[in-house]
Amino acid sequence: MSDIAARVKNVVARTLKVDPARVTNEARFVEDLGAESIQSVELVAAFEEEFDIEMDEQSALGVKNIRTAVDFIARHLPPGG
Amino acid sequence: MDIIQQFIESAKKRTLTVALPEGQDERVITAARRLRDEGIAQPIVLGKPELIEAAATQAGISLDGIDTLDPRDSDKLDAYTRTYVGKRDLDERVARRMVLRPLFYGGMMVRCGDADTLVAGVATATATVIQAGALTVGYAPGIETASSFFLMVIPSFQGQTDKPFIYADCAVNISPTPEQLADIALASHASAARLLNEEPRVALLSFSTKGSASHIHVDQVNEALVIIKQRAGDLKIDGELQADAAIIPSVGARKVKDAGPVVGHANVLIFPDLNSGNIAYKLTQYMANARAIGPFLQGFAKPISDLSRGASAADIVATTAVCLAQVQR
Repeated sequence: MSDIAARVKNVVARTLKVDPARVTNEARFVEDLGAESIQSVELVAAFEEEFDIEMDEQSALGVKNIRTAVDFIARHLPPGG
Repeated sequence: MDIIQQFIESAKKRTLTVALPEGQDERVITAARRLRDEGIAQPIVLGKPELIEAAATQAGISLDGIDTLDPRDSDKLDAYTRTYVGKRDLDERVARRMVLRPLFYGGMMVRCGDADTLVAGVATATATVIQAGALTVGYAPGIETASSFFLMVIPSFQGQTDKPFIYADCAVNISPTPEQLADIALASHASAARLLNEEPRVALLSFSTKGSASHIHVDQVNEALVIIKQRAGDLKIDGELQADAAIIPSVGARKVKDAGPVVGHANVLIFPDLNSGNIAYKLTQYMANARAIGPFLQGFAKPISDLSRGASAADIVATTAVCLAQVQR
């Protein structure tokens, strides 16, 4: 598992207050992890804090599961970072 | 006088503030200028100074006398962050990032009494404005659902001129549960109490009047009424009613025995779902030549509102006036 994926999962487990074991690659935020829709914007902020990046909020909110979140964040990281 | 003009005139008699978190948009700057110059409200425009100034230049408008605020430089940032952490149990650094967003900063201003209302949405999705409202201002006591209402003004209704109605929910909740429908009705009652110059009489609409038809959709409306009666039994809220029984006294009297104060006299119409609500408001607008003003958000602890992406500066001023009319001090 890549370092990015591990950090993403850690952030998700902490922000949504769920058992890290449930945070699998395919886990969907709302259906599988029980995220309320109002938490999604906090999750975006938590990713920004973890990776020290700024994400476009509207496109970030289109991310629905862990795997696509990892890809989305990877695209925002500086090269070689 | 036009109902929006009435709200504008009454706002001029008070000294209220509005947080406008989309300072990068020239329509917001134009609206802020008008709010300030006409004494409707003291606008506080939020955003990065260079973007606010660029928008003002683009609009050809001076920022003289308009408060602008960059959350990054605010001396309230730490206090708002602590308040946010206390409400949401989040990592403080994440909370700080939330509060740094102008939309959330504006919400915290309203929550903490540093602004009277928040008006946003020209550059923000409705769902995001609702999220920000829920996470900062919070819901009104007893309410757990954000919803919306339209103020409908009917030019000629049963001999009355410019008769106002509240329609809800015509824009947000697609298929409300009975609990959500109860929240919508109670929030609409509160909106009507602040905006209409008459006592709210709320009808839960259906295709059935008091058991004239049996169907799960009718049952859901009745479940909502049971919840409402448990939570606020003294309010004038009744159902299930067909629209004619709700608003036409003679029909109401014919269809309902022992009709209470709502039957035939409803001025707040609660639709069972978004299909019916959205269809009804558009039909009323075009077939009755009614003015449809809104949608406005409701259900929050303090008035905030969303704007359409296509809103003009005049729309922003009008929405601000409607929000300010709901400010209780």
